[in-house]
Amino acid sequence: MRAEVLKGHLDALLLATLAAGPRHGYAIKEALRAGSGGRFDLPTGTVYPALHRLERAGLIRGTWSTVNGRRRRSYELTPSGRRALSDERSSWQEFSAAVTALLGSAPWPATT
Amino acid sequence: MAGDDVSHDPADRDAVEGYLAAVAARLTGPAAVRAAIADELRDGLLEALAAEWARGCSHQQAARAAIEEFGDPRTVAAAFAPELGAVQARRAALGLLVTGPLVGLAWIAAVAVNALPPWRHELTGPWLALPLVGLALVVAGPALGLTVATTGRLGGRLGRRATFPPAAAAVAGLAAVAADLTLLAIVTGQALTSPAPQVWGPLVLAAAASLTRGALAGRAARRCLAARAALR
Repeated sequence: MRAEVLKGHLDALLLATLAAGPRHGYAIKEALRAGSGGRFDLPTGTVYPALHRLERAGLIRGTWSTVNGRRRRSYELTPSGRRALSDERSSWQEFSAAVTALLGSAPWPATT
Repeated sequence: MAGDDVSHDPADRDAVEGYLAAVAARLTGPAAVRAAIADELRDGLLEALAAEWARGCSHQQAARAAIEEFGDPRTVAAAFAPELGAVQARRAALGLLVTGPLVGLAWIAAVAVNALPPWRHELTGPWLALPLVGLALVVAGPALGLTVATTGRLGGRLGRRATFPPAAAAVAGLAAVAADLTLLAIVTGQALTSPAPQVWGPLVLAAAASLTRGALAGRAARRCLAARAALR
């Protein structure tokens, strides 16, 4: 699935990958790919800028550690991020229910 | 997970470093931030490489696949550009907000100690140019406020274009340069055309403050403009 399809939803999806606990950038990208059954397979390099943006917005917090002799930055949700994720989930459920009601049913009868 | 054996393979390391260099060459912004980005991408690339290797790829295949998975260096650098522009703009704005009052106080002290025309509520001789400093402050103030607001936590919600923060910070920086140059021109004119002030110390200090701040503001404005250009 192309990256443009995710536009507008990427932030919520990235927050969702951190709901279970901290992850580093590549693990977040892999969680996104695995969680979507391979459908959301973004260029890995473009996931990192989105994480930086979420961090600047105060929704996630990054911390450095050293693993295998190299620096690693891991991210976790902040309280604001948890609230934002909860809001996004509610909005999505409402939206998807409405879209499913419209698109998932038989064709509408003509009203001429 | 990536292990030492992967990151220590010279061919893998060369491939990863070559890719990182290609991305880094296209990044603008503070050096420390760019170095942190390179560290973070390096860790991710080595993780990707290890994952490919675990799937049975040869080292060469794994390196090629990991780099393809990360995306074209131009695409990755372009994706970082809005964040780097925001960081550059915020640093410039905060620097101007800190140095502005200090430079202002230095000039007020110099004017007061020497009882120069503005201190006597007169604008004569070279001090006729003083309103230009006020105009620069009128321009810089809102530009700084907007830069700080759009690069903070509310930045994303304010919905400004990514080019706005570096452009606003550059405007503020250029306004600061204009203010400093005007003040330096005024004090030079004062020294050349008017009776010499009695207390040189505060004037020299204020002029040195303006020279330093003006140079820093000019450099910050240039960097912000480069960050903005990277967003086009």
